[in-house]
Amino acid sequence: MAPVVQCVGLTKTYGRKIALNQIYLNLERGRIIGLLGPNGSGKTTMIKIINGLLRPTAGEVLINGQRPGVDTKLRISYLPERTYLPPGMKVIELVQYFQDFYPDFRMDRAYDMLARLQIPPQERLKNLSKGTKEKVQLIMVMSRDADLYILDEPIAGVDPAARDYILHTIVSNYNRNGSILLSTHLIADVESILDEVVFIKYGSIVLQAGAEQIRQNEHKSVDRFFREVFAC
Amino acid sequence: MLGKLMKYEWKATWKLLVLANGLTLLMTIIAWGMVRILEQSGSDFRMMDFMAVMVLFTYVASMFAVSIGTGIFLIHRFYTSTYGDQGYLLHTLPVDTHHIIIAKLLVSAAWELINILSIYLSVIFLFASTKEVFESMMRGMKDAIEYLGAEKITAFTVIMTLLAFVFSLFAKVLKVGACISLGQLAPNHKLLLSFGWYAGIYVIEQILQVVYFAVVIAFERQLGDRAVDYFSHYGGMSLFGGNRWETSLIGAIISCVIFYLLTWYMMSRKLNLD
Repeated sequence: MAPVVQCVGLTKTYGRKIALNQIYLNLERGRIIGLLGPNGSGKTTMIKIINGLLRPTAGEVLINGQRPGVDTKLRISYLPERTYLPPGMKVIELVQYFQDFYPDFRMDRAYDMLARLQIPPQERLKNLSKGTKEKVQLIMVMSRDADLYILDEPIAGVDPAARDYILHTIVSNYNRNGSILLSTHLIADVESILDEVVFIKYGSIVLQAGAEQIRQNEHKSVDRFFREVFAC
Repeated sequence: MLGKLMKYEWKATWKLLVLANGLTLLMTIIAWGMVRILEQSGSDFRMMDFMAVMVLFTYVASMFAVSIGTGIFLIHRFYTSTYGDQGYLLHTLPVDTHHIIIAKLLVSAAWELINILSIYLSVIFLFASTKEVFESMMRGMKDAIEYLGAEKITAFTVIMTLLAFVFSLFAKVLKVGACISLGQLAPNHKLLLSFGWYAGIYVIEQILQVVYFAVVIAFERQLGDRAVDYFSHYGGMSLFGGNRWETSLIGAIISCVIFYLLTWYMMSRKLNLD
């Protein structure tokens, strides 16, 4: 079976600036993978290319062996690093929207998570706080039974209590046959849930290894190791 | 998926546009009352007449505002939902790019059409107060259609003229979409580049029209007297050939195809969301 994500010589440049430089990477199924790197390292660029929101300058990316397109979008559940849902929509309308477009969307799961967080379905997104909006977005994304969940900085900008909730939501709701690609620079908060890590620096992959393997070989946490690798 | 995309596009736009058309209706009723006051007033110019004139000015201004406002709102909607933050939602939906463009095109064109119709109906209601005025307006429309090339009005010419109008509307909407999409080629100031594309395309369209007219006129001169026989036989061009429905329809269809393909190419091959 093809890897869930396969990057072959993936390159993206903006003028003279190289955002991604000849990336070769295979991501396997059933794993929670941390895409770790400092700001500006190329994490979001890579994620956008996987989602078909950016076109690579050279090379290609394959999802389930296919180039980004309608079929791959059916299998990827993506949480961008920004507020991207229409602010005028009510939460209940949003649930219906996802239900209409994604066959793998689980409405019952979405309402269950909304109820547990006491988010009123009749409320419009623009009336919710920034943190609550982010939780609604996460609920929509995690209510799908996708092959690949791509979460771009899901815990940036939220308080520690909310971080715990977000990580708990991710771990308890994802499709166990799928994978999660989680991008962040807040390693300590996510380290406990990661199976595998990919370090990215200046648009190049500097390391791909199991989280446990790093802890055993380096005798330190992934967070500590990350700080050493990316020390300024 | 096209139906679903259209449903949500409609839901995202209907409120503001119903409000705009409600304003048209309200202003029409108020202006209608003022026209009656002006009709009944004698030669003495009273304060009430002054107010009626002011209201009519406001009516005309509000019609312009509704027309321009609708255009700006639809352009803003296209930009934010396609290339703004909401583009992250739209372009990760498992739908074909053709469906995205067609959904936006049909809903925008429908609103433009509703607006045009509501403004026309408003003007007719306001000024066609008597049967004589109404008949005079109908005669004017008939003359206009005949001027546009139909020797006599038939169901065929009416249908083809309406078709030319609809395709012109589509071309107008697609041109804006294409320019906004082409603006995405810029690393920064994308909106500014979109305006640049619009201005550039407008200039090219004007040049093509001038060239077309020049060719038609030269052709007619070369044919001399035979031109009358030739054109009456083929029913095609005349000195005013550029205004005939055939020319309008063909021009609009060509524009639609070009602008549609440009938008599709940009969305499917050059998408570059910030």
